Amino acid sequence: MATTAPEHFPAHSDDHAHDHDHKPGFFARWFMSTNHKDIGTMYLIFAIIAGIIGGAFSGMMRVELAQPGIQYLDTFAKWFGAVNPDFNSTLHVWNVLITAHGLIMVFFMVMPAIIGGFGNWFVPIMIGAPDMAFPRMNNISFWLTVAGFCSLLCSAFVPGGTGLGAGTGWTVYAPLSTTGSPGPAVDFGIFALHLSGAGSIMGAINFITTIFNMRAPGMTMHKMPLFVWSVLVTAFLLLLALPVLAAAITMLLTDRNFGTTFFDPSGGGDPVLYQHLFWFFGHPEVYIMILPGFGIISQIVSTFSKKPVFGYLGMAYAMVAIGVVGFIVWAHHMYTTGLSVNTKMYFTAATMVIAVPTGIKIFSWIATMWGGSITFKSPMVWAIGFIFLFTVGGVTGVVLANGGIDDNLHDTYYVVAHFHYVLSLGAVTALFAGFYYWFPKMSGRMHSEFLAHVHFWVFFVGVNLIFFPMHFLGLQGMPRRYPDYAEAYAHWNQIATDGYMIMAASLVIWFANIAYAFVAGKKAEDNYWGEGATTLEWTLSSPPPFHQFETLPVIEEVHHH
Amino acid sequence: MTAVTHQQRSNRKTAFIALAIALGMLGLGYASVPLYRIFCQVTGYGGTTKRVDATQAATVKDSGRTITVRFDANVARDMPWDFKPLQVTDTVSIGARDMALFWAKNDSDQTVTGTASFNVEPEQAAKYFNKIQCFCFTEQTLKPGEEVRMPVLYYIDPAILDDPDNKDVELITLSYTFHVTSIGDAKTLDREQTGG
Amino acid sequence: MNLGKTARAASHTAKALGLSLGSIMAGAVMAPQAALAAAASEPAAAATADAAASAGSYTPMAPTPGIGMPVEGGIGFQQQFSKLGEYGEWIHNSVLLPIIAVITVFVLLLLVVIIVRFNRRANPVPSKTSHNTLLEVVWTLVPVLILIGIAVPSIDLLAKQYKPAPKGALTIKVTGNQWFWTYGYPDNGEFEVVSNMLNVPGQPTINNGVREVGSEPWDGPSHLEVDNRMVVPVGEPIRLQITASDVIHSFAVPSLWFKLDAVPGRINEKVLFVEKPGVYYGQCSELCGAKHGYMPIAVEALPRDKYDAWVLTHAGGKIDGQATAASETDYLPGEEPAGDASEAPAADATAAAE
Repeated sequence: MATTAPEHFPAHSDDHAHDHDHKPGFFARWFMSTNHKDIGTMYLIFAIIAGIIGGAFSGMMRVELAQPGIQYLDTFAKWFGAVNPDFNSTLHVWNVLITAHGLIMVFFMVMPAIIGGFGNWFVPIMIGAPDMAFPRMNNISFWLTVAGFCSLLCSAFVPGGTGLGAGTGWTVYAPLSTTGSPGPAVDFGIFALHLSGAGSIMGAINFITTIFNMRAPGMTMHKMPLFVWSVLVTAFLLLLALPVLAAAITMLLTDRNFGTTFFDPSGGGDPVLYQHLFWFFGHPEVYIMILPGFGIISQIVSTFSKKPVFGYLGMAYAMVAIGVVGFIVWAHHMYTTGLSVNTKMYFTAATMVIAVPTGIKIFSWIATMWGGSITFKSPMVWAIGFIFLFTVGGVTGVVLANGGIDDNLHDTYYVVAHFHYVLSLGAVTALFAGFYYWFPKMSGRMHSEFLAHVHFWVFFVGVNLIFFPMHFLGLQGMPRRYPDYAEAYAHWNQIATDGYMIMAASLVIWFANIAYAFVAGKKAEDNYWGEGATTLEWTLSSPPPFHQFETLPVIEEVHHH
Repeated sequence: MTAVTHQQRSNRKTAFIALAIALGMLGLGYASVPLYRIFCQVTGYGGTTKRVDATQAATVKDSGRTITVRFDANVARDMPWDFKPLQVTDTVSIGARDMALFWAKNDSDQTVTGTASFNVEPEQAAKYFNKIQCFCFTEQTLKPGEEVRMPVLYYIDPAILDDPDNKDVELITLSYTFHVTSIGDAKTLDREQTGG
Repeated sequence: MNLGKTARAASHTAKALGLSLGSIMAGAVMAPQAALAAAASEPAAAATADAAASAGSYTPMAPTPGIGMPVEGGIGFQQQFSKLGEYGEWIHNSVLLPIIAVITVFVLLLLVVIIVRFNRRANPVPSKTSHNTLLEVVWTLVPVLILIGIAVPSIDLLAKQYKPAPKGALTIKVTGNQWFWTYGYPDNGEFEVVSNMLNVPGQPTINNGVREVGSEPWDGPSHLEVDNRMVVPVGEPIRLQITASDVIHSFAVPSLWFKLDAVPGRINEKVLFVEKPGVYYGQCSELCGAKHGYMPIAVEALPRDKYDAWVLTHAGGKIDGQATAASETDYLPGEEPAGDASEAPAADATAAAE
């Protein structure tokens, strides 16, 4: 199933590119960019900046949670511009932190990095296309995301009810987000989602068109690398889910400002309907974040095992299955809203079904490695870490799927542990795996393998220390979104905060590694991972020419049996 | 050159199909509000009761079996009314028409118009709960200090006796919550004045 | 309005109670609320207490450390005090936890084997296998079977949780507010209890007029203890009807396996059952604004006779179970104008016709 490019590859290399590989000037190149690689780079840089801000917010939360009582929130309130905050506006800062952390990490870190960054960079290359189908729309997508982020940051400095900023949680549940939060902060937050949502929908249309129409001759759907498959499925999820969010939050906006009562019982609306709409988007959204990660892990596992992916078709269609089933399980986020028994039984059963295609993926990765000749380069170590951590996050998902068990665990730290294992330790680990896999390809400079390994181990220890004890806290009943707690929860919270410090240290190592690569890194070869790396990006120079595949590559039929 | 334009044309076609899907989902998002309301009215989902007219109600026969109905009254936080059922529970004959009375008093010094939202618990009984006349069908206006008794005319569909989901149901609760729709002379609620 | 009711309750409580420590405390605790209510010039506060004498008494129960509350360093569920809780805990601890542990260890073992056996040095030539239909069918079907195995007790638990309350079950009304709970007792004369979290020593005042935790011998853990608990009878199914007056809250008590959202504009209903007398703590479990973390729930389960005695400490508290139509006068102070119906809005016209 692996794809290979022809022996005499027509891509231009850097040294004789003066005529064809003309790069525009700085402003035109970075602000009016139509080049998928430049836009991908901008997405990655943007995601790193957003990630630092969102990560700093989580650091502020962990510091506050290190002990019972309120220690730092009033200081944080002053940072956001509050003058002599009273107790309510001090506590409001906590809600702003959790809201901003969630929104930033979901919409402005993971999605831009994994879809906008790696997707933009490698989908066109992997299918042998010269660029995305609509380069200018690609640019608009990016700047809409940036504009959305600015809107979200602005919201932190304007009134949002009991204090400055939007303190509704990333779920923006009505009526807390409508009658419960007067002031413009929530409007800014909603507007941020509109902007980045519009950008993401455009991006999805772009990816779908590119993947359907711009594949090189011979690159059939069933020969596409799994990363491309994952981005295709993700693009469809975005296309189907984001408009529903857009509709829901627009209705919130009109409920807030124009007197409509879509979710307000005083006019015949139902606040629970907002939750249905939100989670109809929200559940596919978690697959939007993780599916491209699945794709990256498939590429890496195959590369370093020097084997084609085991059960390629099963892998591709497992992602399709996850995408489809992802649309019919949303109410498992709403088990305690007073659903009827039949509804709850249905959603329990449907949710558990997702474990089947997910299991197929885990076991197929293991089977890919089985019998391989594995080199443990940094991307592979991160990928193996991903498989284990994602398994831990996945099995706690099976526990939470049970409506009757969720009655005790819903909105506790158990849920926080679960979704951070699949996202913070899953999607983010996949992001780091992809980063080390492709960074030399993108930059032309090799990173330090040693530092990358150290980064992995410090990160691995840190995140497990943060999130594993949260299972215990959740089982013991500690609710989510609490700035303060009973003494009995102090022990594991202290450990989680210690874990955060270790995790933060690992990021210093990461930045040091990037700096090392640019200052002293070796120049990267075309295919620095060797024989196992068979997708089209390895046939290009590192970094690839500004315009690649001006003559389309032809994909040969390769038989493995 | 023709190949390029062909590529562009097919790209545009794909993009427009994708855009249409997105717009369709957007429309579905908005359509979900009326669809959800209809779904609830038809199935009783979310504890939504049925509304019937008197002629239809006249065709229903008294089954002779009884069930207890409980009445519950709430007010939203910004609602300056006192609102109570005049009977906490009532034992009614399934299929027979019955009337329950609620009492409300405007404790404020302003004229207040309110509407009542409602639901039935246990939820599976809702679709058998038929209201013929109810104060929740329209807005209610109370002058300062005014008090009023408000009736609900209802019956419970005897089909509930054949529903296995309802075989354990011993008591059905009908709950109302009064919300402010306007205060003073203004006909529409201004959140700036009353919210918070 | 709520405060007004409590004020009535408080003044009545102070009169009815004997010289027990409890009575003194209850009066002291409630007095500030009475003052608040008066300050708010609630008309109800002016209402005089019921003249009827009652033989109520109540001393708050001291909680048992580690029971009905989290324990330091705990790694499992809180000890359960309901049949459903024990069943749910059994499903988690004896079915789900072993299964997920085995799966996780199995995956980990496979990864370790791969790292040891299939590294470049141990296995220089990679195999070219990329399909094995049997294997793929197995790892699709085995998870399906495991999930069916999980689903059987899980669905059974759900069905049991939704079993409606039996005939004659006591109904208690729970209302979530920003940021306190009120508990109504419609079957016991429709009195209402306002429940605020106790202030935490050394921290900013969370609730004005409420004492600090630790100032009484029966005070429970900080962040969990309240001034007025929700008192329930032990060993009988109780129908809890839950709503909210402003935004969504969630009524949760981990040791009773209970969590149900309080949604404004509607009630949610579920059966609460407590097996043993005791105090069981919970916390609001749906983000509801600034003091979301400061509106805990304390359920005190008492034997029926003590519960009845507690009921009688409240103005209008009745122990004869279900209210009757005759009790209508309780809700309508003063005479009812005969022309009431004619003044009423449109809906009343039908009533008159009826």
